[in-house]
Amino acid sequence: MNDNELLEKLRSTIIKGKSEDTIDLTKKALKAKIDPKRILNEVIIRGAENVGLKYEKGEYFLGDMLLAADAINDCMNVIKPKLKEGTHETPVKVLIGTPEGDLHDIGKSLVIALLQGQGFEVIDLGVDVSPERFLEVAKKENADIIGISGLLTVTISKMKETIALLKREGINAKIILGGGILSEESCKQAGADAWTKDGWEGVKLIKKLMEVS
Amino acid sequence: MTYDWDASRKRIIGTFFGTNKIDRVPYFPLACEEMICRVTGKTYKEIIASPKNYANAAITTFEFLKADTISIPTAYAGPGEALAFAEANDKKESIKWFDYKVFMAKQGVVCKTEEDIDKLEIPDHRKISLWDTCVSALDIINKKLGMGGLCLGIWSVVQELRGVQAYRDMRRNPDLLLKLCEKVYQSQMDILNFYQEKVGGIGMIFFTGYSFNKHMMSFEDAMKFEGQFIKRIQKETKASIILHNCGTTPYFNEVCNEIDLLAVNGSHPLDIEYWVNFKEKFPNVTIIGANIDVSRELLNGTPQDVENKVKENIMHLASGGRYIVGPICCLPWGVSLKNIMAIPKAIKKWGTYPLNFN
Repeated sequence: MNDNELLEKLRSTIIKGKSEDTIDLTKKALKAKIDPKRILNEVIIRGAENVGLKYEKGEYFLGDMLLAADAINDCMNVIKPKLKEGTHETPVKVLIGTPEGDLHDIGKSLVIALLQGQGFEVIDLGVDVSPERFLEVAKKENADIIGISGLLTVTISKMKETIALLKREGINAKIILGGGILSEESCKQAGADAWTKDGWEGVKLIKKLMEVS
Repeated sequence: MTYDWDASRKRIIGTFFGTNKIDRVPYFPLACEEMICRVTGKTYKEIIASPKNYANAAITTFEFLKADTISIPTAYAGPGEALAFAEANDKKESIKWFDYKVFMAKQGVVCKTEEDIDKLEIPDHRKISLWDTCVSALDIINKKLGMGGLCLGIWSVVQELRGVQAYRDMRRNPDLLLKLCEKVYQSQMDILNFYQEKVGGIGMIFFTGYSFNKHMMSFEDAMKFEGQFIKRIQKETKASIILHNCGTTPYFNEVCNEIDLLAVNGSHPLDIEYWVNFKEKFPNVTIIGANIDVSRELLNGTPQDVENKVKENIMHLASGGRYIVGPICCLPWGVSLKNIMAIPKAIKKWGTYPLNFN
């Protein structure tokens, strides 16, 4: 198998969400002296785009996305130490949590898996996070993006409160709301910079906001 | 003046069965616990302190809202079932309580491992104090107002118990996931049996079909992990099913081809044409809601915006019956009472039969 065939096979394995095979093939690729940046660009980023496209077309669903995201993370974990060698790039830092009063975390978990696989640094605040806790960690970590993910309509007011506090305290990070029940209007009203209805769209949005290719 | 629940009952039954002999379009709000706290000024724990408290608080709230239906929202197959499973499996720590809204379960804690699923005990709802309160409150309401019904669900409970892992199981270990669904089904049957022992026969079941959403899974998977259980419940009970899904891309058309439903309850798609086509395709299935979504006009608009939205739905869907106004999903604290009360006002104005939009 030549390099191109190996990368093609690895990408296909990732798209199918096969974690164990992904790890084996990634190790093989590194052993074959394939540049980890090539793996990132040709396998991870293109693979993730392919997965997202399948989701948009209705060929893939949440379960398929999650498994592919897991495989991407597995691949990323193998190449990460090699990628870091000789680079001084600071990854985009995303702070994410479910607002106070909401304990749902399925959507958030998906976004985290997708973002981590794309090389973003993600700080997961968990569920039922108070506005003060968002502020405290946002200040400490100097995050680029703050994502507030919630399922319930009942938590929109808490999202609004959190955003108001973050802005009042001078936090400059872009604030994105996520959740199937939200709408553009409700996010505008809440003072967010952007909103997303699902995980894949969220990843695309963050990339666009941070001008990451 | 006494609230006329008799007239409400006639409106609801008349609408479901497509008779023209009703005075106006009925109103079916999904008022959750926080609305009951808001209207009564009581904390959630005060409300559930006794069946009488809960029944009276619910009656006060739904009368205040000028509703034609009433419910005990905690008797719902989401957090309520998560609590029952948490108690039966010694995992009470997964439940968090709030003052002015319902408790919630931390998703994925009760069934974190495969072993948790294997050993999962099915709750006896008679021994769960909260469920005893809820079903007893339903009994009080049934005796007082002649109204009742029950809310069940499979996927809503699976998500609470297994969390995001359920979606991985769907591909990696579907048999394990089906085992969990089967246990949830058995638990739902226990609720049904408990209801029948305490309240009586069940004619109508409100089913939270959370799996029936294109964002989450294929229709085949929705049928596999939830639909087949709805069919089994229907076969066991002969009850009419109202299918609720508050997601943005529901499988209402697809599900109506597979399951005999009395009604569908959703707020999406927002395009009214979808609902007009649905009504043409499934003329015997009542639509509850259509495109009245709480996160839009109700949360951000004015009473006039709310009225316009209610009018749009009535104008397109209420002719000939089988349409019930219902905002989706719950009415949260952030929605102004002016907007909430604009709904019954708009129904009175635009939904009185014979319909007249001039």
